[in-house]
Amino acid sequence: MRTTSAILSKIFTRRFYIDNTGFFLVLFYVLFGIVNGANLVNYHKALMLGFLGNYSFLFPVLLLWTVYAVKCTGFVLKTFQLQGYDFLFSTMGSIEKPARIRIWFLLHTGIYMPVLVYVGIALLVAIRQHYYIPAVLIVILNIANCIWPLTLYERKLAQPDIIFFTGHLQRWINRHFTKPPVLFFLYELFTNFPRRIVSTKLVSAAILWLTFLVMTRGEYFDLRGLQIGVMVSVLAHMQLMIHHRAFDDTYLNFMENLPVSLFTHYIRMIGVYFIMFLPEMIIITVNAYTKTSVMGLITVFCTALSLLILFRSMLFFPKMNPEIHVRYIMLTSFIVLFMILGHYEWPAILLLQAASAIIFFRKYRSYEPYIEPES
Amino acid sequence: MSDPVIALRAVKKSYQDVPILDIDQLELPAGIYWLQGENGAGKTTCMKVMAGLIPFKGEILLNGNVSSREHPVQFRRLINYAEAEPLYPSFLTGRDLLELYLHTKGGNREEILDIGEKLGVDIFVNNPVSSYSSGMLKKLSLLLAFTGNPALILLDEPLITIDTRALTVLYDLIRTYSAKGVSFCITSHQPLDAEELTVTGTLKVAHKNITLN
Repeated sequence: MRTTSAILSKIFTRRFYIDNTGFFLVLFYVLFGIVNGANLVNYHKALMLGFLGNYSFLFPVLLLWTVYAVKCTGFVLKTFQLQGYDFLFSTMGSIEKPARIRIWFLLHTGIYMPVLVYVGIALLVAIRQHYYIPAVLIVILNIANCIWPLTLYERKLAQPDIIFFTGHLQRWINRHFTKPPVLFFLYELFTNFPRRIVSTKLVSAAILWLTFLVMTRGEYFDLRGLQIGVMVSVLAHMQLMIHHRAFDDTYLNFMENLPVSLFTHYIRMIGVYFIMFLPEMIIITVNAYTKTSVMGLITVFCTALSLLILFRSMLFFPKMNPEIHVRYIMLTSFIVLFMILGHYEWPAILLLQAASAIIFFRKYRSYEPYIEPES
Repeated sequence: MSDPVIALRAVKKSYQDVPILDIDQLELPAGIYWLQGENGAGKTTCMKVMAGLIPFKGEILLNGNVSSREHPVQFRRLINYAEAEPLYPSFLTGRDLLELYLHTKGGNREEILDIGEKLGVDIFVNNPVSSYSSGMLKKLSLLLAFTGNPALILLDEPLITIDTRALTVLYDLIRTYSAKGVSFCITSHQPLDAEELTVTGTLKVAHKNITLN
């Protein structure tokens, strides 16, 4: 007969490794595939000695392990919300608390195991090389990373409706703050698809960082160069736009019965992308405010927002599937690129704004999701 | 004779070139209507068209002069709709939705909160809808349908999934609002309780058309 922990391990641990096969393949390639086999042990020993002997290297490593622990925790918590997994509340809730904590611990350490194995080897190296303080720090952090998620699992079991913020805070917010429609899609991303928004924002930030790095290395600053970087950063948001349309189609149909003007709907759409691009605008301001004028910054922000709004508006053509969308995005981007290079930024912005407004106001009320016919 | 509460003129609706509705003319005076039809006949599509939820060809007039084409905002202020199987973003609370409806549709806040209490919505209104049962969702969507100052309320299968206490409250609400001049169009596979409601007429959806009996 199968034990409870074996069944739960199948639900959580095995599913975690299957769902993250791609992630682990990339990780193993980075850790073991890029180094010559003969130098593999020395490479990893050097890596470990690197973070054991240098606190400024150790802290990012500790942070990375904690991020992985957050990923593991998110996976377990999300499983509870999946369709068909409701039974976990009643079954797990029926187990005595000490036994349940033990099961949580086994499940969590099961999916946190890759870090624990690596940490175990690093600790051996640390003790041999007399790096006792870093070893203690590593032990404390990893014990903490194995324990704090258990409290979240327990709370999830007791309060199934908590999906984003910590319990009391979320309840307080729900009582005192009404979510405006402009935040609906961002809530959707942060509550149900955090990995998607975080990865997009990381890629977008990396593109901007690279843009500034290239210009710093070349000892020049050209607003057009920054705008090109921003254009690429906007392109990184493509999958979010497709997701946005699907979200609106599925969940916000009820809003079409509300007496809201087209203009208000349009402003809401602009608001969504303004808030979404706010982190990039902060990055750009921090890095460029000494190198360009306020007008220069406004030009860059307007270019980015105009592109985002036009690319989203294009999706009001019902037959615009992701493949066709990419083609039109690329075409538009090339036209805008050459206009920017020719110093026609503001005409480009005005054209983008006009095009998106025309599409939106003509298409919004007549838009209806298109279902591709089966071939 | 007074203006019809709703008039459909040359209304056509197709899904992917498959015609679902083709209504040349339909005018309904104020009252309570029971919309009948087999599964797939187009009852829900008809309601969604009337509520302005999905695009269609033709025109719908409310109170004789508010056009779905020319006055889209005013049109939506006069018609409310409660879906058969309501679906809302999981993170929204009942309160978020209620505030959104009250801000846009308007109406008497105290009256709506009172209805919420009668339906038992006030107990769970601060929780995210992801934690609601189908009955709780249904109650919330019915409550939202009574916000504002509508001329016509469309209720799609309102009798299913709600408990008997809420059903009594709902019948009472329909009677009260009807007495104030609000019209209703109700779809239901179960017969409407004749002791609770006096139906003005029966609408039959068949062969892409609607006929009033």
